[in-house]
Amino acid sequence: MDFHFNKVEHQDGILDFHRFVLLFNHSFSPRIRFVGELELEHAFVEGLEEAGEIELEQAYLDFLMTRALNVRAGMMLVPVGIINERHEPPVFNGVERPFVDTVIIPTTWFEVGAGVHGEVGRGFRYRAFVMAPLNALEFNAEEGIRGGRQKGAEANVRNVALTGRGEYLGVPGLTVGASFWTGDSSFAVPRLDTTVRVGEVDARYQRDRLELRTQFAYVTVKDAGRLNDALLGLTGVSPNIAEAMRGFYAEAGYRIWNQGSPRDLVAFARYENFDTQYRMPAGFLPLKEFDRDALVVGTTYYPDPDVALKIDYVWLRNQSSVITGANSFNIGLGWWF
Amino acid sequence: MRAIPVFVMMLGALAAGPQDDVRVIKINAERFAFTPSKVEVTAGEEVEFKLRSDDTSHGFRIVGTNTSVAIPKRGKGEASARVRLDTPGTYTFECNRMCGAGHNFMRGELIVRERAAGGR
Repeated sequence: MDFHFNKVEHQDGILDFHRFVLLFNHSFSPRIRFVGELELEHAFVEGLEEAGEIELEQAYLDFLMTRALNVRAGMMLVPVGIINERHEPPVFNGVERPFVDTVIIPTTWFEVGAGVHGEVGRGFRYRAFVMAPLNALEFNAEEGIRGGRQKGAEANVRNVALTGRGEYLGVPGLTVGASFWTGDSSFAVPRLDTTVRVGEVDARYQRDRLELRTQFAYVTVKDAGRLNDALLGLTGVSPNIAEAMRGFYAEAGYRIWNQGSPRDLVAFARYENFDTQYRMPAGFLPLKEFDRDALVVGTTYYPDPDVALKIDYVWLRNQSSVITGANSFNIGLGWWF
Repeated sequence: MRAIPVFVMMLGALAAGPQDDVRVIKINAERFAFTPSKVEVTAGEEVEFKLRSDDTSHGFRIVGTNTSVAIPKRGKGEASARVRLDTPGTYTFECNRMCGAGHNFMRGELIVRERAAGGR
């Protein structure tokens, strides 16, 4: 859970209790286990979600069979990227999650489905799930595929999506991962084939005081031109959805105070480049304000390993000559248990 | 003056008793993985697991045995567990302290091999 103070240039500061999360678990037997996560965002919910939202982000049963093969079914986190499956504040630097993990990979990304997971050899881990697809009707230029998450709410499964992730953890301190998502997302606009494909690679490395992480993600939307035309016909406005979106970041953190909490302080810097208008379908021009990059510099102080006090400054730029990016100063306090 | 510290070291060695030849296996715990997650020992071999966390507190339980210890949070030291398994087979070790949504992933395998013929 976390709450923030965000001060964007030329705007009033905002205090927001961003996330309140409750975890539930139960073991029916040593081999059949339940995990649930219920999240309240922005502290307050009213009709039509004007203020916040309650999300059932996880509610699944694990059938633990062998080290190599286990079955999972229910509401699950999509296994794509560094942050989506490990999104609690003490595990990442910065008050807000990386931009790439917000507008390219739409964390927190969760769907209903079923699949398998396990570990083979010395440190190779995988998961592969069949899940409800995205809804192309909700894509847009600024946040890409983010609006298309069905979130397990009476999700349409005329088509299904396949997703998976492989990780190698065999070298101490190093985690290397790659993940994908593919699924036809055109059930709401049936004459199209708007298959969405997400490919992603990432790495995390920690040695002594140094912590490094990097991620690259690429999204394609098939038939994006016809999708824009169809949505123009439906709503009167073309959403200018791109046929390819791309994002990457690199982050370096250094534990400048490394004696264990409460003497535990990390300084970090992260460069991000993310473009939700990376390649446009024929006949559409990119909106350059959505070709963005950001430099995030800040610190994370741990009074306890599960509590993180964060301060950062974000320089946000874009390629538009008309609309400029807004820098921001942010303070956050987050914890989990 | 140098004789004093040498004498103290000798006293320390005497107090520690005979040299312990138990094999030490270091395991790192982090949400949501043990590294290494696959360990091999020989039936009847006594080993000592040294367990350290990179984040929150975790548990370490070898399913089907009495071994169950709490691993303290990062920077709060390490846990250790001496284990001797006489029956060959494959055992599962797991985190038995709820540590987050990926808690069920935190498992590993302890393989107990038959002792070679003629082995002690």
